[in-house]
Amino acid sequence: MAGDALTPLVLTLKVAVLATLLAAFAGVACARALGRRRSFARDVGESLLTLPLVLPPTVLGYYLLVLLGRRGPIGAWLDAHFGVRLIFTWQGAVLAAAIAAFPLILRASRAAFLAVDAELENAARTLGLGEGAVFLRVTLPLAWRGVLAGALLAFARALGEFGATLMVAGNLPGRTQTLSLAIYDAVMAGDDARAETLVLVSLGVAIVVLVLAARLLQGNARAA
Amino acid sequence: MRLEVDLAKRLAAGAREFRLDVRFASEADVTILFGPSGAGKTLTLHAIAGLLRPDRGEILLDGGALFSSAQRVDVPARRRGIGFVFQDYALFPHLTVWDNVAFSLPRKGRRADPTVTALLDEFELAECAGAYPHELSGGQRQRVALARALAAKPRLLLLDEPFAALDAPLRARMRAELLRLRARSGIPMVLITHDPEDVSALGGAVIRLVDGRVAGA
Amino acid sequence: MLLRRPAPRFASLILVLPLAAGACSAMAADLVVSAAASLKEAFGEIGRDFDAAHAGIRVVLNVAASDVLLKQIEQGAPADVFASADESTMDRAVAAALVEPATRRDFAGNTLVLVVGRDVVAPKALDELPGAVYAHIAIGNPQSVPAGRYAKQALVDAKLWDALAPALVPTENVRQALDYVARGEAQAGFVYATDAALAKDNVRVALTVPTATPVRYPIAIVTGASHAPAARDFVAFVASPAGQAVLARYGFGRVP
Repeated sequence: MAGDALTPLVLTLKVAVLATLLAAFAGVACARALGRRRSFARDVGESLLTLPLVLPPTVLGYYLLVLLGRRGPIGAWLDAHFGVRLIFTWQGAVLAAAIAAFPLILRASRAAFLAVDAELENAARTLGLGEGAVFLRVTLPLAWRGVLAGALLAFARALGEFGATLMVAGNLPGRTQTLSLAIYDAVMAGDDARAETLVLVSLGVAIVVLVLAARLLQGNARAA
Repeated sequence: MRLEVDLAKRLAAGAREFRLDVRFASEADVTILFGPSGAGKTLTLHAIAGLLRPDRGEILLDGGALFSSAQRVDVPARRRGIGFVFQDYALFPHLTVWDNVAFSLPRKGRRADPTVTALLDEFELAECAGAYPHELSGGQRQRVALARALAAKPRLLLLDEPFAALDAPLRARMRAELLRLRARSGIPMVLITHDPEDVSALGGAVIRLVDGRVAGA
Repeated sequence: MLLRRPAPRFASLILVLPLAAGACSAMAADLVVSAAASLKEAFGEIGRDFDAAHAGIRVVLNVAASDVLLKQIEQGAPADVFASADESTMDRAVAAALVEPATRRDFAGNTLVLVVGRDVVAPKALDELPGAVYAHIAIGNPQSVPAGRYAKQALVDAKLWDALAPALVPTENVRQALDYVARGEAQAGFVYATDAALAKDNVRVALTVPTATPVRYPIAIVTGASHAPAARDFVAFVASPAGQAVLARYGFGRVP
């Protein structure tokens, strides 16, 4: 019997959308902070920030569990000051997926910002704009396609997040069991019918995302 | 207006090195930086605008320091009140002519500011107010760049090879425009050119730059 | 050779790939032993002792929840010996002709216990579990972990399963349940006494959980094992006084 595919689907979409927004905010901010100048320090910084991309997801999940858990440095602090606990919650799943997806937006954004003609940013400065305004009124509007492409990649990554999510959020049906975890669960339990239903649902979501991405990125390309 | 420039900058690209060591003063309405390509004219202009930081020296405008390594002063570009017309015009491709010209104005009233209307009329751009830069001709783009810089009411206007991309008749016309502008607005200008005809047409003080240094007057 | 097996379903192939990849590089004398998670240390030592006594054979230990191991074998994973943590998994293996029934024998027993974290108050009975104190209770996923099935049966019998459902955190195997309690993420958890002994510094045994059926570990030779004689020797070694002594050292009981 195929069982309930709607609950994991809704949960997956909720987690993936929030994770992408979180990663996008952080990714754009860090890309901006890294700036135009290349230096050894900045390259090291970018490499460190890209780490979640190359770490095996279970390693990432393990480190997150250690940091965010009750006895971990960040987890204990959050618990003491805000009563916030992330392990076994969908919020923890959002954080795990966001960290896994973050490097994709970071790299795409940095490349997009660097591609904006520096002279345009200079022109804005001579017209009286501070750095923040230069970024918001010139750099970002001209780089948005690159950032969006990165965000779509990040969304796809967040949709499929498994290893880190399993460690941090657990596999709690209805609460943190996303599509990937539900598929794994169904396979483990020998429920191949359910597994196949969920796989098809995942495939459907992936196709919708890809089609949306293609349409958003084409648009009416103005001279940029 | 009195402009005093004394700056030094070392630029290295791999094994190659370029040393800029420029010293001059001018009280003229129009100051022309003249010289062959690669002489350092654009770098000097960028330094005056605050887009390039010299290694040492000072840049004074009417006695006030825009940059002084000795006094540790470096006024950011946005506060120097210096307009810049870039060689490629650097028009914002995602904004219309109107929005480009109005760019420096505060957000309130930007949509209908009379300053912008006046400038567009003056430069005969009123009809293409809603057009985007890629839809304009070279001459139109240059006028937009000028109008945009002037909208900020600068006290000094810098122009980097303003006529280089234009054909001969257009160049003559734009020189006349610039002279009219100078007369009308009274804003002093520093402009870069490697064309001797611009020098004779525009007059003013001429600073010759060769290989990063000022050649004998 | 391999007898009738159900055609591998696409989604299940992910289980086989890691084992198959390992097998491709295995030498002729590797003996693959698929053992339940709770047997990890004991079988590790038994494996080393077996290697020492049998030149030319090397025990390769593959540890996971019993149901996962069964699934691997079902999909054609090259295991030679299968040791599970409950009879029902082995029954399923026999029913699917995945193991040779004549070679099946029980070799150890265990106790199911409730452990709590080191900062947590120990309940004196199972019915003290519902409530705010034990916000997260780790239990092996009953669908794939024998320890979870034993625990579920005990909770159902005590009429506590529904009340505790919101607090239960299902884990992939019994060791993960232990880890969550040791780490403090779960306040309590259902593990074997042998597991609890391994994490003495971080967990305390609160009480022994009575199970409807005693916890018994069966072992059998996989049908079509590539190294049948060595497999037979291994099973015999596990049942021998030497093997039993190792198991006893880790806290396993005699066959109940």
